Amino acid sequence: MLLEGLMAVLQPFTIILIAIGTVVGIIFGSIPGLTATMAIVMFLPATYSMSASQGISMLMALYIGGISGGLISAILLNIPGTPSSVATCFDGKPMADKGEAGKALGTGVVFSFFGTLIGIAVLIVLTPVLCDFALKFQAYEYCALAVFSLSMVIALTGRDMPKGLVSAVLGALLATVGLAPIDSKPRFTFDLFQLNNGFALLVLLIGLFAISEVMAYAEGVRKDQSFTVDNNAKIKGAGFSLKEGIAQIPNCIISALIGVGIGILPGIGGGVSCMISYTVSKNISKHPQLYGTGIMDGVVASESANNGTIGGAMIPLLALGIPGDACTAMLLGGLQVHNVAPGPLIYEKSGAVVYAIFFAMVIAAIFMMLFMLLGMRFFVSVLKVPKNYLLPVVLVLCAIGAIGNANMLFDTYCMVGFGLMSYLMIKSKIPTVPMILGFILGPTFETNLRRVSQLASSDKFWSHPIFCVLMIATILVVIFSTRANLKEAKRAEAEEANS
Amino acid sequence: MKKAIALSMAAAMAAVSLAACGGGSTAATTAAPAATEAATEAATEAAATEAAAETEAPAAEAGDFTFDKTVNVYITHGAGGDTDYMARMLSQALEEKLGVSVVCSNVTGSNGATCMQQYKDGDTDGYTYICSNTAALNGNEATGMVDFGYDAFEPVAIYGIQSGENIVVPADSPYETLDDLIEASKANPGTIKLGISTGGGVYIQACVMTNLGGAQFNIIDSGDAATRLTALLGGEVDATSLPYSTVADYIENGQLKSLCTMLSQPPTLLPDQKSASETIPELVIDTEYVMLAPKGTDPAAVKAMNDAILEVTSTDDWKQKCNDYSFQDPFVLNLDETIENLKSQRELFTSFKEFL
Repeated sequence: MLLEGLMAVLQPFTIILIAIGTVVGIIFGSIPGLTATMAIVMFLPATYSMSASQGISMLMALYIGGISGGLISAILLNIPGTPSSVATCFDGKPMADKGEAGKALGTGVVFSFFGTLIGIAVLIVLTPVLCDFALKFQAYEYCALAVFSLSMVIALTGRDMPKGLVSAVLGALLATVGLAPIDSKPRFTFDLFQLNNGFALLVLLIGLFAISEVMAYAEGVRKDQSFTVDNNAKIKGAGFSLKEGIAQIPNCIISALIGVGIGILPGIGGGVSCMISYTVSKNISKHPQLYGTGIMDGVVASESANNGTIGGAMIPLLALGIPGDACTAMLLGGLQVHNVAPGPLIYEKSGAVVYAIFFAMVIAAIFMMLFMLLGMRFFVSVLKVPKNYLLPVVLVLCAIGAIGNANMLFDTYCMVGFGLMSYLMIKSKIPTVPMILGFILGPTFETNLRRVSQLASSDKFWSHPIFCVLMIATILVVIFSTRANLKEAKRAEAEEANS
Repeated sequence: MKKAIALSMAAAMAAVSLAACGGGSTAATTAAPAATEAATEAATEAAATEAAAETEAPAAEAGDFTFDKTVNVYITHGAGGDTDYMARMLSQALEEKLGVSVVCSNVTGSNGATCMQQYKDGDTDGYTYICSNTAALNGNEATGMVDFGYDAFEPVAIYGIQSGENIVVPADSPYETLDDLIEASKANPGTIKLGISTGGGVYIQACVMTNLGGAQFNIIDSGDAATRLTALLGGEVDATSLPYSTVADYIENGQLKSLCTMLSQPPTLLPDQKSASETIPELVIDTEYVMLAPKGTDPAAVKAMNDAILEVTSTDDWKQKCNDYSFQDPFVLNLDETIENLKSQRELFTSFKEFL
């Protein structure tokens, strides 16, 4: 069966499909507004008429390419190409500003590759064990997980904690627009049916990052400035030395495993995994103060994690038939139309297809690294394009992406609205990233809290050890992060006083 | 420098044109060629069995309408689901038959309500159609999600039936039939946890079981099919209702067992299933795939489309697809039957309205 799977993937046509899928995925991932999900939506119907191995190989390539491509615009433009690369901006952009765009890209690409491989390895080896773990996550556990993840905002925002919390709460409030979870009562919809589904994460993301970036640039457009960007265009190999790479290995492994862990839990996704692993990486690092100033560690943490999430998300998808996010939900459909039913019998009934998926993932990861490393020199030249030419094009692409997301023009108005909001937030020094966390986790928290309230009569929280552990961990995170923040604030004050 | 700008602009334009087709046109057209082969093969076969003259005849009758530009099909549910799959299969076949492009786009959200709301007053020139399922169409009206029913559209055709939803319990649970489950809930009110998703078809089922079957479950919201499956496997709920296709392998594997199907008749290929209506006569959810046109669409176009659907679904290829995908034989209705069917389903759903 292993051999059968390998043979299915090693057909020239399948390899070509994987290559095409990877390239298209990277393009979709790198353009803000177009995401991996959209690439899969677009190509899924095309796979209906392929064989199961061909179709799913192509979809996997789109998935891996799409999640990886997001780092390009995150680093070069400070606009994350997909929700999964939000945290890549934190250190990627400062690196590019320092003239290390090539190094940042190379780091992102290589560690995306290793992140993917770690994810695939866990997927192949530990699936049965982790399935049981995933099934232990029910309403109580998700509720606690959402609270725990939200507590990361404190660590993420550091000294700006109050403003970070404001941002996170605003994000959670934005997510309440639309039909309420559980009882489907419309909230804040003002009788506009377009608001029944609430706001799409993608639309918020474009507004927060792309529009505000364009507006921030527009501020300076009348100022005299030269368009020459020093980008140290000579890139050797992957842009960083072997020694630097080796030093990042522990960071990469930890981050990828965090990514896998979040991937396994349906409904959380890559957007959260990159931010949490960035925060964790910062907190366990020996030089946390350097995070955000443009160091490899930040890029490695974010990119290993979001690619690790791919392997993680495939675990419940294949072994339980439970999709973890929008991408895997579509992969599920892509498998079902070929009469491959993900679930407990998938190895027995469609073992060859499962092995084909594993091989396709590995090949797609290799293609992804090759294409991106080869294309790196070209990507960096984007920085040479004057921004007053580049950003309007990016803006148009964002608008197209916003419309394409649900085929609704209404979403572009929301996008502009969020852009204005984001601009005001930046002006008042409120960080925008916690808003994304609040927006994703708010509904998870609300839905599961309401479920818990239905369960609580017969099912008490002390029978849920994971819930208790997560709640205690949350309390510890809050205490220690707040203490660290206060210390840092005091030190900064003292420094200011001294100078 | 100029070269770089030109280059990036070119790349951007390419991306724009790529994305502009993102609505599904590329997808539909790329998928077409392979399907074309199959369709032609099947079409020739069909032509051989049914008299060739007959194929011409309906077209001549409806004769007043010929499709001469791109047909737009809006699908109310997301790519990868059964509603999407059936709609795209139909569109591929229609493309071959009508000789024009049939472009599918998914406009999703609120169990199809978003799409229906957006296109119920769409273009009436006969080139705009909506593909959905009857449970969403009638259910959304019954639960009050929308204030319109099938009569806000011009129904075109019902062109298939789902493999159905089944009430499932863990294999080691003591219940063998829906009767057992309901009786047990009466014996110990509020102890059997039934996982539902509020507002959807499963919610309607739970309400019917409670109000017409006298069941006394502890009704717990467990979200969509994927999270209901998680909840059932993880032991958070004791029973729930899930699409047969989702649980087939768990049943075969001996982890879960099915008590009954919500369909009025068990699927053709799964004749051993019991129907829920044997226990509670009103408990019937026949989810069928339906094509609608905006209100006021040219009746000649609707008739021509229905004729085309009847023709392309009479092939062996179509039968094979239905068998493989939903364990069902083809189920396609003409205009009058379609309206009759929607009407009776709506009456049934409306009768639930008081306790939803």
